[in-house]
Amino acid sequence: MSSKNKPIANPLVVLREEFDEWAILFDPDSGNAFGLSPIGVFIWKLLDGNYTIEEILRKINNNFEDVSENAKEDINNFIKQLVEQGMVGYEMNRIDKN
Amino acid sequence: MSVQSTEKLDSLETKIMKTPRGVDIEITSRCNLRCKYCYYYDNPDVNYYDLPKEEWLKFFNELGKCAVMDVTLAGGEPFIRKDLPIILEGIVNNRMRFSILSNGTLIDDKIADFITNTGRCNYVQVSIDGSSPKTHDSCRGKGSFDKAVHGIEILQKYKIPVAVRVTIHRYNVYDLENIAKFLLEDLGLSSFGTNSAGYLGSCRINANEVLLNIKERQFAMKTLKKLSEKYKGRISATAGPLAEVKMWHEMERARKQKDPPFSYGGYLTGCGGTNSKIAIRADGVITPCNMLPHMELGRINKDSLIDVWQKNPILNNFRQRHKISLKDFEFCNGCPYIPYCTGNCPGLAYTLTGKVNHPSPDACLWRFIKNGGKII
Repeated sequence: MSSKNKPIANPLVVLREEFDEWAILFDPDSGNAFGLSPIGVFIWKLLDGNYTIEEILRKINNNFEDVSENAKEDINNFIKQLVEQGMVGYEMNRIDKN
Repeated sequence: MSVQSTEKLDSLETKIMKTPRGVDIEITSRCNLRCKYCYYYDNPDVNYYDLPKEEWLKFFNELGKCAVMDVTLAGGEPFIRKDLPIILEGIVNNRMRFSILSNGTLIDDKIADFITNTGRCNYVQVSIDGSSPKTHDSCRGKGSFDKAVHGIEILQKYKIPVAVRVTIHRYNVYDLENIAKFLLEDLGLSSFGTNSAGYLGSCRINANEVLLNIKERQFAMKTLKKLSEKYKGRISATAGPLAEVKMWHEMERARKQKDPPFSYGGYLTGCGGTNSKIAIRADGVITPCNMLPHMELGRINKDSLIDVWQKNPILNNFRQRHKISLKDFEFCNGCPYIPYCTGNCPGLAYTLTGKVNHPSPDACLWRFIKNGGKII
């Protein structure tokens, strides 16, 4: 099996938009919850398995002003954190054993 | 670029959220016990009628769409509903977690097994009011202690988080040390919470029999203070004698030192619950809180929850209580603690004075002192 590079949000995780563009990500299975900034919400909504990190970065640059030079690293770290918490995964390719 | 908020979640609660974070539901109006100080029964404002499960399941779909995180089931006694597993399944299927407030007497292996397998239970709260049947059963009825303790043991067996609430009244106030030992040492609970019987529901009828007088309240405060020092961090309270002994001590110290007002002091700030939660009666009527069942905001599956939450004038007016100064009340005239007081629970304010927008006389420090009480 090998993983693709387009992250997918765990459909069980709830995006709870509370104030303006700020939100909470809530995993009902673990009870874990943490706050998301507007850019975090924007990224979360792109985690549908259709976008690579580079493509997400491009969309951020197109939609937000003053994006930092470290944005790619920030996105990578953010998604890594989500993966570690089981909130995001990657689609797995099926490898034919024959 | 910050993608994850560094603010604590709680700090977000100063503004009104788009939808409630939690919903308190009286899932049934029925109960197998008739406790003498029950806040729920004997309330002329409540229609004691149960909705069928289909109505609740439909409502849970709406809660799921609103991204509600937690549902608390109370009553009545939630475990009296034979369709409770279907109801819990409806909560789980809509990506929410749940808690249950119970008298503990109807919990069996089958339902405990079901609950633990959902993986979504925050806790089951069981009421224990004594260290033995003598004190517990005095207000809850014969046999209720043994059944409640058995219920806790079943929950423990299935590794379901158990929260115990001790309601203090005239029959158990001198049993507090034994209760703490029983719960924390014998049953091995990590902690328990305390409150005291309040002038709500059935308690209004039995007030003279169950409500603590000044001397008993003073004794409860002294004992709970001592016990909370002995069992560090294992006894909690948001209201009642333990909460009062801590809060009143701070208020007295501030008064003596002529400290500036507390950040929440001097106004009706005693309840911020409606900034993050809403309540539903067993008959489906939406209210701000289970303690304010007369404030009807709408009806589930008829009125949109988001509309009620964001636009209902009664609810939005209630949320403005914090702008009402305690100095405006004749009741508070001359009180030296105003800068440090929150006015406390609006539910009790309503049952005691007939007004929601009024300080609650029950948790009034100045009144306590005027009636002979002393700050510990």
